[in-house]
Amino acid sequence: MHNEFAWGMLIVIYLFTAGLSAGAMVTSNSALLFGGEKYARIGRWGAYIAPFPIALGTGMLLLDLGSPFNFYHLFLQLQVKSPMSYGSWSILLFTLLSLVYFYLWLPERYQFWSQPQRAVHWQRLLAKVMPILAVIVASYTGVLLNAAARPLWQTPLLPELFLVSAFSTGIAAVILAGSLSRRWRAKHHELHILTVVDVVLVVIELILFAAMGLSAQLGTLSQRQAFAQLLYGHYAWMFWLLIVICGLVIPLVLETGELKGKVSAKWAGSLAIGSSFLVLFGGFFVRYVITYAGQWTGWVR
Amino acid sequence: MAVKMGFVIITSRCIDCDACMVACRAENQAPLGYSRNWVTNSGIKGRFPKVKQSFEPGNCMHCDSPSCVAVCPTGASYKRSDGIVLVEDAKCVGCKYCVEACPYDARFLNPNTGKADKCTLCIQRLEQGLQPACVQTCLGKARQAGDLNDPDSVVAKLLDLYPVRRLLTDAGTGPNIYYIDVPVSEIPEGK
Repeated sequence: MHNEFAWGMLIVIYLFTAGLSAGAMVTSNSALLFGGEKYARIGRWGAYIAPFPIALGTGMLLLDLGSPFNFYHLFLQLQVKSPMSYGSWSILLFTLLSLVYFYLWLPERYQFWSQPQRAVHWQRLLAKVMPILAVIVASYTGVLLNAAARPLWQTPLLPELFLVSAFSTGIAAVILAGSLSRRWRAKHHELHILTVVDVVLVVIELILFAAMGLSAQLGTLSQRQAFAQLLYGHYAWMFWLLIVICGLVIPLVLETGELKGKVSAKWAGSLAIGSSFLVLFGGFFVRYVITYAGQWTGWVR
Repeated sequence: MAVKMGFVIITSRCIDCDACMVACRAENQAPLGYSRNWVTNSGIKGRFPKVKQSFEPGNCMHCDSPSCVAVCPTGASYKRSDGIVLVEDAKCVGCKYCVEACPYDARFLNPNTGKADKCTLCIQRLEQGLQPACVQTCLGKARQAGDLNDPDSVVAKLLDLYPVRRLLTDAGTGPNIYYIDVPVSEIPEGK
């Protein structure tokens, strides 16, 4: 018997960074496939961001292991019943391929091929494959917690929540990089489309939280009591203040204001930076609160 | 019928002396601050003069469909054909997924070994024909272990004679510790 959190901050960082990478990857892939040259800055920044957060998160995962030197056992087999088993394979594959994708986006002088068309060909091919892996990497973390069969983690909406939050944080990271950069600064129409998509994702996230609350109310006593910790219990201030208000409502208000043209051009840049930072901040605490509150609450005897 | 190892625990015979926890620690070298078994205390229930307090010993339930085994990414956690749930240290990476997945919080990460640690039903003692350490030491004979499917075993006879309950059956893992709350004046003879 133990009374501590077996999964702590290292796991939270991993959950956040994996989602961020997956989101940035899909953002880049969509910009390349559907936007072409007009949205090249988005494609580039997504590709430049994608490999690194998840690489950091994977490092955190290794540090969290009780026997880190035994990690290779994860890659000697595939345990079909264990989400962590296929999750490990997906992270490995995603990280390696995202490094290749990153390389293909580097300026021409670093390219292996003398004709640039070859790089573009592979870029487009990877852009069609990576979204599948990205969706797996982003949503499997929810399946992972589902299978741990704790009351708060049992909701089937958890993979969807993590997926939407992942795309939202990925887009926010691209907005942030594209607004801060000088060399590849995102154009106005690029920031506009990213902001539109992010508004939609934030609304979906709010709906998902409401649906999770509703399904918990209709669920078992254990599930009701676990979700109550978010609404008015031990994690309520984090849930309401850090996730709902700072991470969802304020960015939503700022971004819709921006889209409706209520913000002067002078402030638009700082506003995009501010709201995307808040989306990242809120996305981190989504993982934090779900991870910790899920362990804080157990089965009612 | 196949052998199915499990426990029958008679709460009315438990006095919360915690000798089972001490015996387990001595036998299995669980690190300080952690324990493979426990005794929970209901606290005082009711109002004077109708008051009641009960103690509930526990440990790994050696479940029929253990969630800890299902989630293990390396196959280190496994269930033997006789029902005992064990961890193969050489394969364990210490990811703590099983610790999270156990509804009974019966597992912990052993900081000395870096492996998941849990009740083994004292297989090293069973092999010598002895009872698990917690069962042997129990002065109230509250703890009983054995083959639940063998009609000649003490545990099967107790199951026949008394009403039993199990913990958190909603979690769906099929736990194999059966609790008897009514007074048991005499423990039946058996294997």
